[in-house]
Amino acid sequence: MLAFVRKNQVPLSSCFCLLLSIYILTAAARGQLKNEPLGALLMWIMRPLQIASESAVNWVKNFRDNYDTLAGFKSENERLRKRIQTLEVERQRLLEAEATNLQLKALLDFRTRLPAGAITASIIANSANSWFQSCMIDKGSSDGVRKGMAVVTPLGVVGQVVGVTPHAAKVLLLTDPNSGIDVLVQRTRSRGIVSGSLDSGTVLKYVKRSEDIQEGDRLITSGIDGIFPKGMMVATVIKVRKQHIGLFQFIEVLPAVQTARIENVLVVAGDGAGKS
Amino acid sequence: MRLFLLFFLVGILLILLQTTLLHLLPIGPIIPDLTLVLCVYLGLYHPTVGAALGSFLIGYSVDVVSSPSRMVGLNAFAMSLVFLLVYFGSRSIWLQNPLVSSIVVLFAALVKSAALVLISAFFVSLEGFWIGATWYIIQEALAAAVLAPVVFGLLRAGENYAARFRAAGQ
Repeated sequence: MLAFVRKNQVPLSSCFCLLLSIYILTAAARGQLKNEPLGALLMWIMRPLQIASESAVNWVKNFRDNYDTLAGFKSENERLRKRIQTLEVERQRLLEAEATNLQLKALLDFRTRLPAGAITASIIANSANSWFQSCMIDKGSSDGVRKGMAVVTPLGVVGQVVGVTPHAAKVLLLTDPNSGIDVLVQRTRSRGIVSGSLDSGTVLKYVKRSEDIQEGDRLITSGIDGIFPKGMMVATVIKVRKQHIGLFQFIEVLPAVQTARIENVLVVAGDGAGKS
Repeated sequence: MRLFLLFFLVGILLILLQTTLLHLLPIGPIIPDLTLVLCVYLGLYHPTVGAALGSFLIGYSVDVVSSPSRMVGLNAFAMSLVFLLVYFGSRSIWLQNPLVSSIVVLFAALVKSAALVLISAFFVSLEGFWIGATWYIIQEALAAAVLAPVVFGLLRAGENYAARFRAAGQ
């Protein structure tokens, strides 16, 4: 008997443990397992260890949560930055579209006041040097643009078409020394020619000394040249100088249209356009 | 006796891990049953009376810290059963491959779960408690099986260290 027990002590002890477990289970199921010392001892051993372990785990958990939060902030920040960039580009595009829209709307309104057949064009290039004041527009003979047509904006006169290709045209600006626009002084109806000059900017030529010209006088197209429609704003007088000798006054003017700042223009035919 | 104490302390440590740190693992509600792995290890490599009592104590400790009061003893029974079955099976198992330890732990986990189901149904009769638990049981068994080679390796390393420490003391 003793030999059997010795030989099978492990399975027998295991079976004992199984029976003990069943006894404990039965007692527990009946609610009779109260204040049993082994459980209390194990709890007594485990409690401080569990508290310490839980503290460590909480620390790890907090660290991980903080890290996750920070990582979340970082990715959110990155996402928002990209969003801001996208919106900024979009905003820029919309502002540009709005500005273009306003320009075109003004041009359209202005077009109704012009003779029929006005052609809307965009400036696509400026003069290659400072000797000549000209620009290129994106409409040419295939669009109806002809040499000698006037180029205007709602603000006033820009220049005159001096060269045409099928899909583009060259415009001589009124600030060029070779240009000449017949104008009237709006206040006195005195006549003169507005032209560019290399040394003095834009000037009003051929006004007699006896004419009453003052700074701030507005110059409008006379319509006599057959190129520009009558009554369009050309420039404003900024300086008047009567010389001791000579027939004419020296008058500096400021063009109504700053050609460097415009993008869209109208090409209109005066009475004599295209005849030359 | 020293070895018994060592394994008991390891068991306590594993219970602490199971009740705290392993809950942080991103594997949902599954907690790898490391104490089961320890019982399998004891059944395979230390088939002694002390190991049998150790398995019971480990299971009972799990009951004390986590089982409802009406079900105390459930894990003690399951762990003792696992130890006994592994003890009988260890004579015919060749354990040189870590994969084999995983398979043994997988089967042990399934046996333990089956024992828990049957015993709880017999004693407590919680209707519907185990419905839908099959997938959970399989997942838990797989998690324990995956970790088994690691735990086995650590336990063996700990044993070797303790042996060297003891030899140095003598």
